[in-house]
Amino acid sequence: MTKKDLSITFLGVKFPNPFCLSASPVGNCYDMCAKAYDVGWGGVVFKTIGFFIADEVSPRFDKIGKESTPFIGFKNMEQIAEHPLEDNLRDIKRLKKNYPHQVLIASIMGANEKEWEDLARLASEAGADMLELNFSCPQMTSHAMGSDVGSNPELCKKYCAAVRRGSKLPFMAKMTPNITDMVPVAKACLEGGADGIAAINTVKSICSLDLEKHIGMPIVDGKSSISGYSGKAVKPIALRFIQQMRQAIPNVEISGIGGIENWVDAAEFILLGAKTLQVTTGIMEYGYRIVEDMKNGLQHYMEDQHVDHLEDLVGLANKNIIPAEELDRDYKVYPNIDLNKCIGCGRCVISCYDGAHQAMEWDKDTRKPKCNHDKCVGCLLCGHVCPVGAISKGEIEFKKGRQGKRKKEDIIL
Amino acid sequence: MDNCKYVRPFEEAFSLKTVNEEADRCLLCLDAPCSKDCPAGTDPAKFIRSVRFLNYEGAAETIRSSNPLGAICARVCPTERYCQKGCSRSGIDHPIDIGKIQQFVTDYEAAKGMVILEKGKPNGKKVAIVGAGPAGLTAAAVLLQKGFAVELYESHKEAGGYLRYGIPEYRLPNAIVDSEIKRIEDLGAIFHFGVTVDQKKIDELKLHFDAVCLALGASKGKMLPLFAGAKNVITAVDFLAKTKMAKGDIQIPDNVLVIGGGDVAMDTVTTLKLLGVKEVTDVVYETFAEFKASKKELQGAQKLGVSILDGYVPTKVEGNTVYFKHRTKESELSVKADLIILAVGQCTELGNISEITLTKGEAKGQGKVFVAGDIAPGEKTVVYAVRSGKLAANDIAMYLEGK
Repeated sequence: MTKKDLSITFLGVKFPNPFCLSASPVGNCYDMCAKAYDVGWGGVVFKTIGFFIADEVSPRFDKIGKESTPFIGFKNMEQIAEHPLEDNLRDIKRLKKNYPHQVLIASIMGANEKEWEDLARLASEAGADMLELNFSCPQMTSHAMGSDVGSNPELCKKYCAAVRRGSKLPFMAKMTPNITDMVPVAKACLEGGADGIAAINTVKSICSLDLEKHIGMPIVDGKSSISGYSGKAVKPIALRFIQQMRQAIPNVEISGIGGIENWVDAAEFILLGAKTLQVTTGIMEYGYRIVEDMKNGLQHYMEDQHVDHLEDLVGLANKNIIPAEELDRDYKVYPNIDLNKCIGCGRCVISCYDGAHQAMEWDKDTRKPKCNHDKCVGCLLCGHVCPVGAISKGEIEFKKGRQGKRKKEDIIL
Repeated sequence: MDNCKYVRPFEEAFSLKTVNEEADRCLLCLDAPCSKDCPAGTDPAKFIRSVRFLNYEGAAETIRSSNPLGAICARVCPTERYCQKGCSRSGIDHPIDIGKIQQFVTDYEAAKGMVILEKGKPNGKKVAIVGAGPAGLTAAAVLLQKGFAVELYESHKEAGGYLRYGIPEYRLPNAIVDSEIKRIEDLGAIFHFGVTVDQKKIDELKLHFDAVCLALGASKGKMLPLFAGAKNVITAVDFLAKTKMAKGDIQIPDNVLVIGGGDVAMDTVTTLKLLGVKEVTDVVYETFAEFKASKKELQGAQKLGVSILDGYVPTKVEGNTVYFKHRTKESELSVKADLIILAVGQCTELGNISEITLTKGEAKGQGKVFVAGDIAPGEKTVVYAVRSGKLAANDIAMYLEGK
């Protein structure tokens, strides 16, 4: 049985493991958070609290699937907590009392400096270990809050300073991806006093439409709105923002969010510099229990990587993401087709012809593909569409006159 | 005979792609019926979820920690009667193929060289286990993990019992039996082979060990009195053992009659067909509605072209011809065959071991003898043997350690 230690220190607070609920419907009250702790989550970001009390619509979710996957991306219209502030503070206090060794993070959202300062103070007094500043909810009914704030660096800095006045607790600012460059906002938050960054919140979206009624989903009395998109589909966007912040702000501590539902997702966020991980959509679809396999799978990955401390994996991949202009463009790599694995469906031929360079040829008699190296550019689209994994990276060829003194064996594929 | 079909797995195993597709079919349901229906206490809902979330190692840990013979049960368990019976997916189409997922995971475990079970801290107590079949092996694995020293006494030359000498190679290769036994050996089990245990030996073991576990299987095939004088009659148990030991390289006539409709009968007729026997006729006491063998095994046999006649009782044997009468209908039947195989049940070879010792054990207070395997109450399947082995081991631990 694997026994690797998953504990990690983030913003000076020790987490028993990096997996946390993100501020969302999954951590909406005492009972939910308590169940999550019981199942094994290392921390909880309690659903955002504020003086603003949300008045929600019904229904409030939508999803998008692809082929046999019903739930690739998810859209929600919920705002911050719908319970009164005093109830939420009472729940936070009770959680901390009954679960002293697991981390409780209070997510807060104010509409002005005073509110931010007061909320920071109240959450600290309730016993939270850490604060998260919600600068990023994309579907607030007030424009003084949410992602409208998060795309304004000056406002973020001011509110961070207000929070610092209200509390001594470590705190992170939660970023919106509805922005071209997250770095200026993150920097402003850190200048304002934030200790770390949480990224990303949801992406503004319209998920699907009712084709008969000509209305976006979900339908609320014949209308719909743009609102936040999450789940596996946003993971690539989250990873990109995290990488950019880690590159621009050396050693910035990040809590990663965006489509995490298994240990592989978790490992990717960690390798790109996230120290803790936050999850909502995966829980909404499958339940708190998914943390069991995330923890156990990550422990096995640590074994395979021969590391004893999760910390040792944080940010290992940051240095390997470089600007496109710096990539080695001197060679191409041809597909290697394993004809024993090939089942003769011809999907590689179709994709190569219609989506690439017409290099994959088809033997009608044997129903097997063959790569014509004169035409092949080494894009390897064929490998991505092969349903049986029969196409791998094969022979390397240097472009004419560009090998220099290098050997093919030294190229890392 | 040509044995190439006999030594090859009857069913294609899952690949990484197909196991993920199968795990994706799982509804990950609340209160999963599969996890309540495994006699060995395995938690399929949990290990399928691990596969779904790409945690194959975790899946292996879940299987192995509840079933030391996980790779064997994966291949031989009649899952339709247990974990797959209540599968929620049946509300859409058909149950998840839990056995095959378990096989993928235990194959993955082997390929990765995972060692999941750990030897317990020695507690200074010794247990003797009589019989190294599935029940004895399981009891040994559980006791070794709890820190007991374990020695097994087996009458055959090798461990495994019916796993090795009964279940055909195409369903359970002996290489798998060997590797599962190796795991238990690595935990510290000591084996004594070629030892026949009688009451005297049990009394002797009681003197030298803190507890004795009788883990005996029903290893002897039953004969019917009607066939006492008939020629060319063997029991299915003997036939299967002979065939497996020879890896299918044996001579069989082209026209065989099998009598019986349990899983052993299905193994027998399927083996005959895979070895290329042209005419295989199976006459069964039960009607199809009452059939004892698993549906999967029955369908497998039918697909191979076995003629199965249900509801008939043998009435007379004359030379090579057996006469039958239908149990309810006005119908008679005679089958002439060059070989007759009786698959009509098994019994234990008990010798002079006292009946009370066998049926109840002697534990709970004064004695030291516990029972497991086919001689213990419960169904006569491998997974029940695993269950009874676990129960006996836990009883022994409770008796010797109070925990």
